Amino acid sequence: MAIAQFVVNGLLVGALFAAVAVGFALIWGVVDIINLAHGEMVMLGGYTAYWLLSIATGTAEGSVLLFLATIPVVVGVLFIVGYALQRTLVSRVIGTDIFLTLLVTFGISIAIQQLAIQAWTANPRSIQVAFADPSMVVGGLVVPKMKLVAFAGAIVLTGILYLFLQRTRTGRAIRAVSQNPEAAALVGIDVEHTRAVTFGISSAVAGGAGAFIATILNIQPQMGLIYTLKSFVIVVFGGVGSIPGALTGGLLLGVVEELTAGLVSSQWTLAVSFTLLIVLLVVKPKGLFGTGADNEH
Amino acid sequence: MSTDPDTSGLLRSILPPKRLDRLFDLCGAHGWKLIGAGAVVGALPPVFGLREGYMMTVLSEMFLFAILALSWDIVGGQTGYPSFGNMAFFGIGGYATAILVKDAAVSFPIAMVGAVVAVLVFAAINGLIVLRLRGHYFAIATLGILLAIQQVTRNLDITGGASGKILFDVPPGIVFYYFFLAVLVVEMAVVYYLTQTRFGFILNAIRDDEGKATAMGFNTTYYKTAAWMLAALFTGLAGGAYGLFNTFLDPQTAYNGAWNVELIAMALMGGTGTVAGPVIGAFGLHTIIEYVESSFVGWQLVLLGVAIIVTVIRFPKGVVGTLRAYANEMDYYERGGMAATDDEEVTTDE
Repeated sequence: MAIAQFVVNGLLVGALFAAVAVGFALIWGVVDIINLAHGEMVMLGGYTAYWLLSIATGTAEGSVLLFLATIPVVVGVLFIVGYALQRTLVSRVIGTDIFLTLLVTFGISIAIQQLAIQAWTANPRSIQVAFADPSMVVGGLVVPKMKLVAFAGAIVLTGILYLFLQRTRTGRAIRAVSQNPEAAALVGIDVEHTRAVTFGISSAVAGGAGAFIATILNIQPQMGLIYTLKSFVIVVFGGVGSIPGALTGGLLLGVVEELTAGLVSSQWTLAVSFTLLIVLLVVKPKGLFGTGADNEH
Repeated sequence: MSTDPDTSGLLRSILPPKRLDRLFDLCGAHGWKLIGAGAVVGALPPVFGLREGYMMTVLSEMFLFAILALSWDIVGGQTGYPSFGNMAFFGIGGYATAILVKDAAVSFPIAMVGAVVAVLVFAAINGLIVLRLRGHYFAIATLGILLAIQQVTRNLDITGGASGKILFDVPPGIVFYYFFLAVLVVEMAVVYYLTQTRFGFILNAIRDDEGKATAMGFNTTYYKTAAWMLAALFTGLAGGAYGLFNTFLDPQTAYNGAWNVELIAMALMGGTGTVAGPVIGAFGLHTIIEYVESSFVGWQLVLLGVAIIVTVIRFPKGVVGTLRAYANEMDYYERGGMAATDDEEVTTDE
């Protein structure tokens, strides 16, 4: 029974990892950039929700509906941040050496990190949602209500992103640019704008996930790198640019981490995640889903 | 090139490309003497009475970072495999020395030998895994290994866990000053020697087009691994001494991810794929970081981040590369439109 409980916990948290990772996968697939500042978007999303709630209620506590009402604002703010980052900085290094793109995004990441420390101190914070206690018990398994809301929120964010890419005109433009930027430009797609929109959408989804993370875990300025690396594990597992792959990868990573924490010790979860990353890279660098990016890039 | 049109007129009158080109030729012809002169100049301050205190530490750290940046460049700049996990070698070297000195009561020189062996064994295994990967995958795999090792170190008893190891009875600072200087000079000599050999050219060939290098019949795995081990050796030596130099080692400092980026930035700002570039970059950037850390506490990462972004966007060739491109700008016309470049030209641009 304990194991079933760990699996449930893992799936609940894993959906959030997945929501963070889909954006990472999207940027990688469309813009061909590993965005090392992706975790910072999660962090900024968490803080945006935190401050919105603080302004609205005076404390970082509120009802579920009030919290959910902050999500659209968070998504909007992070979209602008992502769009601006791509337009002003990242677009200048597209097509150059890979390691230059990594350095630029890393530079953005550490600069945002320390600005956040300066602005909000390094203390961890979290959003308290009023109805969280007591937890539900379903068939002997404990399911904290807020985790369930976060799980649902993450799935909805991922689902909306998926539908957006499949059904809308902008979504089709994004997929066109990812397949062949030159051909996309020839049929009249504004490639630069589309890439920036991609960056914005990815950041927005990551920010939305960050807001949910603030309610069930906690947020602090230096949390970003862990989420970036987890996204990398998930994307390597699921395949570059594949949303179903990222979703599966995220849920699995969550389960693996919770099982490690429960059966071994919570100290070892990060070590296991990173080892998993290395093993995956060696065994299956193109992911289990889709064809993925070319390893010989 | 990347120089501003407004300032380039002034620059042109003070330092015409021709003269700079001749200066580069001169440096190339007297490389050994320059390294020797650098060693002598580096050895002088203690002779003139600088034996301890803040300046001594800062100078030692400058040598230390120059070692790390140059080691990174052997694999990152010369061979084209940008590692985000070089600090793993540093940490392994540091912990091996610390454990040997503190728990096994071995003397410092013997402990260093142990550290080097540990680092080389680790690098061989590590290289086997990551050198099969390229591009994004290589960069992230090295970062993943660095963080995995950091987590493991944090959880083990022998390494002192998260609180780390405090080291007593360490040799005086002057020992480390000369140690870092000596390692740096030896490393510069080795890298300089290699850039003139077949070995160095093959590393550059791997960077420029690994597929073609393989097609020409070179066992690229062998050369990549050799470069990787060489970088590990020097990084491990620096790390081994650092624990005692700092009198304290914990997972956060020994496997410092921010340092890893700092040393990449140093190599990049100085000019990757050159001997002098990473050293110049390390001296320059470390001076700036020292200044910022003492004057603007809490802003150093913001400034480092901005400095990296500006360098990458405006001067991706670094100081040496940009100057060399400037010096060579007339080559194109003088040699009948052939895009002639220097042998050591940094060729990362499109």
